[in-house]
Amino acid sequence: MSVQTVVMAPKGDAWEQALRQFNQAADYLPLKRGIRDFLAYPKRELTVHFPVKMDDGSVRIITGHRVHHSTVLGPNKGGIRYHPDVTLNEVRALAMWMTWKCSLVGLPYGGAKGGVAVNPKELTQNELEHLTRRYATEISILIGPEADIPAPDVGTNPQTMAWIMDTYSMHRGYSTPAVVTGKPVPIGGSLGRVEATGRGCVLTAREAARRIGLALEGATVVVQGYGNVGSIAACLLADIGCRIVAASDTGGGVYNPRGIDPRALLDHKLRTGSVKDFPNTDAVTNQELLELPCDVLVPSALEAQITGDNAARIKARLIVEGANGPTTPDADAVLADRGIVVIPDILANSGGVIVSYFEWVQGLQQFFWTEDEVNQNLERILVRAFEQVWRVAEDKRVNLRNAALIRAIDRVAEALHLRGIYP
Amino acid sequence: MTVGTGVIAPKQDPWEAALEQFDRAADHLSLKRGLREFLATPHRELTVHFPVKMDDGTVRTFVGHRVHHSMVLGPTKGGVRYHPAVTLNEVRALAMLMSWKCAVVGLPYGGAKGGVAVDPAGLSFNELEHLTRRYASEILPMIHPEGDIPAPDVGTNPQVMAWIMDTYSMRRGYSTPSVVTGKPIAIGGSAGRLEATGRGVAITLREAARRYGYPLEGAAVVVQGFGNVGSVAAVQIARLGCTVVAVSDVSGGVYRPGGLDVERLVAHVREARTVAGFRGGEAVSNAELLELPCDFLVPCALEGQIAEDNAPRIRAKVVVEGANGPTTPAADAILQDRGVLVVPDIVANAGGVVVSYFEWVQGLQQFFWTEDEVNANLERIMVRAFAEVAAVADARRVTLRSAALIRAIDRVAQALYLRGIYP
Repeated sequence: MSVQTVVMAPKGDAWEQALRQFNQAADYLPLKRGIRDFLAYPKRELTVHFPVKMDDGSVRIITGHRVHHSTVLGPNKGGIRYHPDVTLNEVRALAMWMTWKCSLVGLPYGGAKGGVAVNPKELTQNELEHLTRRYATEISILIGPEADIPAPDVGTNPQTMAWIMDTYSMHRGYSTPAVVTGKPVPIGGSLGRVEATGRGCVLTAREAARRIGLALEGATVVVQGYGNVGSIAACLLADIGCRIVAASDTGGGVYNPRGIDPRALLDHKLRTGSVKDFPNTDAVTNQELLELPCDVLVPSALEAQITGDNAARIKARLIVEGANGPTTPDADAVLADRGIVVIPDILANSGGVIVSYFEWVQGLQQFFWTEDEVNQNLERILVRAFEQVWRVAEDKRVNLRNAALIRAIDRVAEALHLRGIYP
Repeated sequence: MTVGTGVIAPKQDPWEAALEQFDRAADHLSLKRGLREFLATPHRELTVHFPVKMDDGTVRTFVGHRVHHSMVLGPTKGGVRYHPAVTLNEVRALAMLMSWKCAVVGLPYGGAKGGVAVDPAGLSFNELEHLTRRYASEILPMIHPEGDIPAPDVGTNPQVMAWIMDTYSMRRGYSTPSVVTGKPIAIGGSAGRLEATGRGVAITLREAARRYGYPLEGAAVVVQGFGNVGSVAAVQIARLGCTVVAVSDVSGGVYRPGGLDVERLVAHVREARTVAGFRGGEAVSNAELLELPCDFLVPCALEGQIAEDNAPRIRAKVVVEGANGPTTPAADAILQDRGVLVVPDIVANAGGVVVSYFEWVQGLQQFFWTEDEVNANLERIMVRAFAEVAAVADARRVTLRSAALIRAIDRVAQALYLRGIYP
């Protein structure tokens, strides 16, 4: 699951950023002080220090976290990140954003996040397995199929989820597939999970285009990032009649104003490792790519790609944030002035967590859906969420990003009000 | 339960101080790097933010912690503190010191500690109950009769333990008395629990006198503090044949070189709720009291009472630390140079956690001991612990304080070595 960082100032403290964002949106809502504090602060934060026996026989002490931001709407959901820079504040912020993302699209989840301060590339497969099994054991007091369901994030993958599922199941004494999502399909993963984020980008783009009078038939599209999200979005946009004119990855970009076949481009990337040197295209840099003439721009790579520097030169009418936080707050203001519509990340790339939710549902019921069923349910949820955000934006005269947060916080606040304060 | 703070310099960060103390003792043991780090680091740390509805209808959000330092020797054990200055670092330090205290007397426990940043004096009884029940619910994943057993500490009392026990039991659906200790006797508290710390102080004083050749019969004893610990210690020490010449409480002290009638003094304090006004001796200040001529000085009040400035004037031959951290590190060094024997807090006042342990055992087996059984078992454990610490001090030519920590850490390290590294 690619999990959101929303608009994250690269150097700022993520938790401060998350709180500032929350406060901006919460100002639109009539929340009493204590309720507002409770919505803002993580419900529980667990830090664990655990030993891992390395292949050379030495023992290393590793620090990990698991934060539950809110349990008001249901069990907690959020990825696990393995990265040397993981801090409690980062995990807190990501857990809070997960609460808003789940709430926004109407999933019965509160936000969570986990992290281990480790560089997984420096570990052998055996060490990585031991670290994962020990971390899973340490956080086993928080996770559970009805309580908190982890998923992959930066530095983790379906194999990591398989180890967590196996460790948890061994402790329980029986297989518990619904304790994690983002699993490989043979052990209970969902069909359509890999394509879900890209598919969600296309669905939200379609909904936005309809409302701003942009015909997608023949519309030109630029995609930054050609991984799991960007490549799928490009293929599906082409399927509904768009013309993909440029795409890029870390190796650089390719451009052909007459159009590129996105599936052939994906084959090329899988064969050569990059989109670079695809036949009948001109080379462009990632920076040039963002400023190409087009109707739809889909940044699906890194954070902070559209900034105060280049926002004035963006030529797209519609931006679909496939990545987390590709647009900085400065750029956001410039784009708003210029009338460019931005579908914010917590809406545009929420397809991933939605199909994670479907994977969990299928695990709970031990009955599995066809790919068509998965895609139909994804479409239904995203169309409804987009409709709700659009209405808030019109009512409150705010941009879609603020509307999404307001809608998300309001939904949690409403549930909290109904549940009351225990005991 | 009075729980160990060890020797903490008032202004130093408590966690740094605890780590320094650990490092000094660990240097005496041959521990591999990874194992040493694991012994020093808290196993898990939970921080919770939770709302409490106040009597005026407003909602306040509070922050609380529960830290498990080590679970190598068994379930974790440690008090819950309500104090406005509670921080995660303080809770960490207290949890670590609990590990050493439990290990040094040979209890099958690791250390834990909890805390809520709140001034309990500023809450109504009703608010205190709600705060306690909500905090207990929040730390529920951490506490358990076979996993982690809280007890009273600064700002909490048997009533608070009763609420925690009740909340936990309601959540379980059946009564679970052994989830906390320090409960009122009516709901599963132990006979002898209230007197346990003072009784343990007297036992260690007796053992120290015997081992190091200080006659008890007619020995002059000064006791600072006449609360739960000091008053019981004074009565028990008088029964050993010693002459209690001075005692004090916050209001000041009384001194009679020929010996105070301790039983009469206890009766006076029961009536007047203060030592002041007792006619069987002359008045002295708390500072003067510490410097009176005597054989045994038993500080049972606050931290940092014997400091660099008054340590040169202490005239006792033996100091028995009934309080937590009554001697500063600087004073410790001066007393050592002057040949004053110090029986350290983690041994001298361990009677409280020992009888907490008995309370837990009685709760687990649902079969309750007589006060004589409690006291006989307390005696056996304290005698053995003192002998073991003194043997380490003799063998390694270190102070009893260093010996106690070395013995404690060694016991945890041995257990860790036997258990190995999971998975």
